[in-house]
Amino acid sequence: MTDTMVTPGDTLARSGLYRKIADAEFLSTPESAIAASYSADDSEQARNCGLCDLTPVIRTGWRGKTAAEHLQSLGYPVPENPNQALTKDSGETLVRLSRTEFWVLGSLQDMGTAVTEAARQPSPGSDCYPLFCQDSHAWLMLSGDHCAGVMAKLCGVDMRAQSFPPGSVAQTSVARINAIVVHHQVAGTDVFSLLFDAGYHAYLWDVLQDAMAEFSGAPVGVRAFGI
Amino acid sequence: MTGERLNAPMGLLINRDQPVSFSFEGRHYRGYAGDSIASALIGNGQWLMSRSFKYHRPRSVLTMAGQDANTLVQLASDPNVLADRTPVSEALRVEGQNYAGSLEGDRDALLNHFGRFMPVGFYYRAFYKPKGIWDWWEKAIRKKAGLGVVDLNATAGYHDKEFLHYDVVIIGAGPAGLSAALTAADAGVSVLLVDENPVIGGALTYSRFDPAGVHADGLRNELSEKVLNHTNIRVMTEATCNAWFTDNWLPVIQGKRLYKVRAKECIVAAGAYEQHVVFRNNDLPGVMMCSAADRLMKLYAVRPGKKAVILAGNDEAYLTALALAEQGVHVAALIDMRDKAQDPALADAVAEACINIKTGMTVYEALPQAGNKHIRAVDVRAITGQGKVADQGEIIDCDLLCMSAGFMPAYQLLCQAGARLSYDDERARFEITDLQPHLHIAGSVNGVYTLNAVLADGKAKALKALELLGKAPAEPVPAVHCEKQMNYHWPIFKHPQAKEFVDFDEDLQIKDIVNATRIGYRDVQLVKRFSTVGMGPSQGRHSALPTARLVADATERSVSETGVTTARPPFNAEKLAVIAGRAFDPYRQSAMHHRHVELGAKMIPAGSWQRPAFYGAAENRLECIAKEAHAVRNKVAVIDVSTLGGIELRGPDAAEFMNRIYTFGFLKQAVGRTRYAVLTNEQGVVIDDGVSCRFAEDCFYVTATTTGVDSVYRNMTRWNAMWRLRVDISNVTSAFAAVNLAGPDSRKVLEKITDLDVSAQAFPYLDCHEADIKTAAGNIPARLLRVGFVGELGYEIHVPSRYGEALWDVVMQAGAEFGITPFGVETQRLLRLEKGHIIVSQDTDGMSHPGELSLGWAINRKKPFFVGCRSVDIVMNAKQTRKLVGFTLPADLRHKGLKPEEGHIVLRGDDISGNITSCEYSPALDAIIGLGYVGIDQADTGSQFRIRVSGGHEVQAVVTELPFYDADNKRQEM
Repeated sequence: MTDTMVTPGDTLARSGLYRKIADAEFLSTPESAIAASYSADDSEQARNCGLCDLTPVIRTGWRGKTAAEHLQSLGYPVPENPNQALTKDSGETLVRLSRTEFWVLGSLQDMGTAVTEAARQPSPGSDCYPLFCQDSHAWLMLSGDHCAGVMAKLCGVDMRAQSFPPGSVAQTSVARINAIVVHHQVAGTDVFSLLFDAGYHAYLWDVLQDAMAEFSGAPVGVRAFGI
Repeated sequence: MTGERLNAPMGLLINRDQPVSFSFEGRHYRGYAGDSIASALIGNGQWLMSRSFKYHRPRSVLTMAGQDANTLVQLASDPNVLADRTPVSEALRVEGQNYAGSLEGDRDALLNHFGRFMPVGFYYRAFYKPKGIWDWWEKAIRKKAGLGVVDLNATAGYHDKEFLHYDVVIIGAGPAGLSAALTAADAGVSVLLVDENPVIGGALTYSRFDPAGVHADGLRNELSEKVLNHTNIRVMTEATCNAWFTDNWLPVIQGKRLYKVRAKECIVAAGAYEQHVVFRNNDLPGVMMCSAADRLMKLYAVRPGKKAVILAGNDEAYLTALALAEQGVHVAALIDMRDKAQDPALADAVAEACINIKTGMTVYEALPQAGNKHIRAVDVRAITGQGKVADQGEIIDCDLLCMSAGFMPAYQLLCQAGARLSYDDERARFEITDLQPHLHIAGSVNGVYTLNAVLADGKAKALKALELLGKAPAEPVPAVHCEKQMNYHWPIFKHPQAKEFVDFDEDLQIKDIVNATRIGYRDVQLVKRFSTVGMGPSQGRHSALPTARLVADATERSVSETGVTTARPPFNAEKLAVIAGRAFDPYRQSAMHHRHVELGAKMIPAGSWQRPAFYGAAENRLECIAKEAHAVRNKVAVIDVSTLGGIELRGPDAAEFMNRIYTFGFLKQAVGRTRYAVLTNEQGVVIDDGVSCRFAEDCFYVTATTTGVDSVYRNMTRWNAMWRLRVDISNVTSAFAAVNLAGPDSRKVLEKITDLDVSAQAFPYLDCHEADIKTAAGNIPARLLRVGFVGELGYEIHVPSRYGEALWDVVMQAGAEFGITPFGVETQRLLRLEKGHIIVSQDTDGMSHPGELSLGWAINRKKPFFVGCRSVDIVMNAKQTRKLVGFTLPADLRHKGLKPEEGHIVLRGDDISGNITSCEYSPALDAIIGLGYVGIDQADTGSQFRIRVSGGHEVQAVVTELPFYDADNKRQEM
């Protein structure tokens, strides 16, 4: 990420949400723009109850019998079981969705540049297929003390820390749409990443804002996470 | 005035430092914060709160616990509010309901004198003769029907839902619930304690458990403090568990939120309902349950009367007598229906309080003040047999009658869970059995009443729950027994002048129940349906037991054999707004959505997607569509087709998979070429179609209909779970944004934004290629498909969705010099109709096979298999009955309102032979054109058939060869 302010409507790749968060300041990513901050106390807001649009951050995935081996060859830690996630020191989070399907969520530190590099590596033959999650799915990140409380209003899965600790993954229904919920950490803060059909981007953003209102939740930019 | 209140410690719920003003029936009153509407009104001497449902008899509090319909009142936007459950608030406006004129002077109270003409079920046998009279009666009945008034302008407010998950959920925070909660929480499990009252403690908050009345308060304070401060316990007060569903799924309503609670173990400690005695005028204001009097005093510091009579069927009534006497109420007599009290010490204590105890007697009739506004005396008689009394009695003046015939367990949630409620006729005791494995009962709902036994029962059930949770109890589970007798066996005393109410909600008397059995309704379920007993707001809490007793007696069976009516959710009345909660109505928007909005598109739903129907004002719909269609046919136009389904198939067996799934042959489909793909199900019915694009030997990108793609994807993965082919299947619908650039000038526009050679020779019809789209900000990787859905030279451009808006922008910029026009779905539907292209699910139905749709050309007969191949052969070889054909009609019919619409029927003689599936006016052809199913004998080109259109008119259509437009396809192949 460069520390350059940009107008999100001018970039080639655009989050479907940029009009809704037009009051944010935006920073450029390799080919898009991401909300950097909304106010001076974004960090405090993020610790309480924040929502961040990470759709512009690079992510990718592989599926197939040799996908696990391929990821290991790329230096990624592979979770032992489906519905588990591991985060590298560099910030990338590897999500295991099934025995043969893995997604890699880029780090906020580099906005996923390292993932882009990994995606460029050739796949090992016919049993490992790159996935389309950069475009098929939007990425929202819920942060703060009330993550589980917000999700309890939208989802039937118990996401309190004792039942859904960091490293947990749920493939479930959130506000009546399919979503992948990943509990991981960003810059030492527990967060829930929600990955869902990109067409529902605006819908779920509004739904989450509504659910967060009870907890004084608000949008936050990536600077709230020390970026 | 707030009225005189009792001294503390009476008034547990009220804050005497915070007076509250409110109005009832236009008169102003004052109460205290914490008062219920009912307690504040009685505190001011206002007893009359409502009129009964049928006879409009004056009613006042019965239970003071929200368990009856006697206190239903009207708030501004809220009808049928329980005055004994709803708190007063500053400036609250309360009205009575269900009266004519005024609550005090209800003109409909005259109905009380015509009861004999309105027996149960009279409305089933009246009002319909002579013929046509119902029309008159209906208006009158509708005017009288209902209780409160719905505010049609009211707004629902914000309601929502929340999921909760606990190891142990305890319903009821009385002594059993508190004991269970502490036992479970101390073992380290998470506990949710739910209670419908403002404070926890249950009967400890109002009832007297010992003659001196000293034990309950101390115990409540001790237990409450521990529970409220326990980190493992969450307490929800003023919350109602309104049902039990499988696997301990518990809907708990608190305020405007519905909590969907999941409990590993559930302990129901919901207590028991005090039962009334059935005698004449037992509904008068001033006649109430003993517990209601206890609540008025203890919770609200309201003295319920000056001179009381107690009617006892158990020892609990003795404690109420003591409480009343302690608070300065003159207790004129304690009438015990039994021969003696079970606890002699209690009888001694009552006698010491100078209360005259009369055993073996009952109240035979309550005598009313003028207009039945309040009780003034009771007629006390000796009991001479079951339900029989002496001819002469004693009149005792009083303004309060407290009664307790017994207690019935709060069985509703448990019976919803499949438990069995049984009754021991000999001992007049209830028992609940056949509980679900992870559902437990404790306290009075379990027939345990003495305080120590109740506490022990709560603990025992918590230990059992812990055991099931894998937490081995540190101590053995104690056995709990309670021999306390709570129910008098026959508290029903028929009076020749009736008005002995069994069901207060529905004004049902003894004769109403007995007559139902005489008519032939012997089963208690049928008695309920015929008489409506138990159908009112209290849902049989007080009527179920006397009804069972009466039906049992009338049918010479035991109460146990008779049983009670089925308990179904909800337990309490609940608002539809609570059930609806915060509505989730998911919608999808394409990456270009906002560009459409900016261009003035009229958006319509297409499945979960929002799509532009056309661009322009809704009132100019036809003009807009015509203009857009003209642009496609004559210049260049663009439509967002991002919503089109997309499925990516990769792997060495991708071609084999395609070949098995779709009807056409795909093994030999060349790389760089597209092919029409039809999907049939195992019954041979066409369920979807699309375009197969082969981008590599082992890679197909196949489109599907917007609303069908999810089903197609599911089918594909299901089939390959069986076939085990080496192919990866991905639903990439949302991964790609796409436009269809169509029109004679579309090639010129495309040339400006790609370096790919798009000439007719290099990029012919049905080709597909991967290439970059050039923009000022950089190149966009794209998939280009040469298609012809709308019948003109055209290209679909598919790009990763993150670039969708940039693609739209660059296409519009490049097309500006050619007058590019955006067009919407409705225009596209017209254009494809002109080309005779079907839309699966619009022009097909659940029976449409390829033969009917003239899609035989899209079926490969040489390959060994495709899904549905056997069925397709069978249905296509069978005698054909209908066919989808094109038809035309004169253009001027549309000005006469005679244009057929989708769904209009096709006639053959007087029979229906088919239906219209698509029909539009075509500006290009200046005719009405359409597709429709007709009888096979009507399908020849040039044949005429009749269509019945709106208004019952018929028009004559002519079967026309498809396509209607550009028959030799030169325009799309140019």
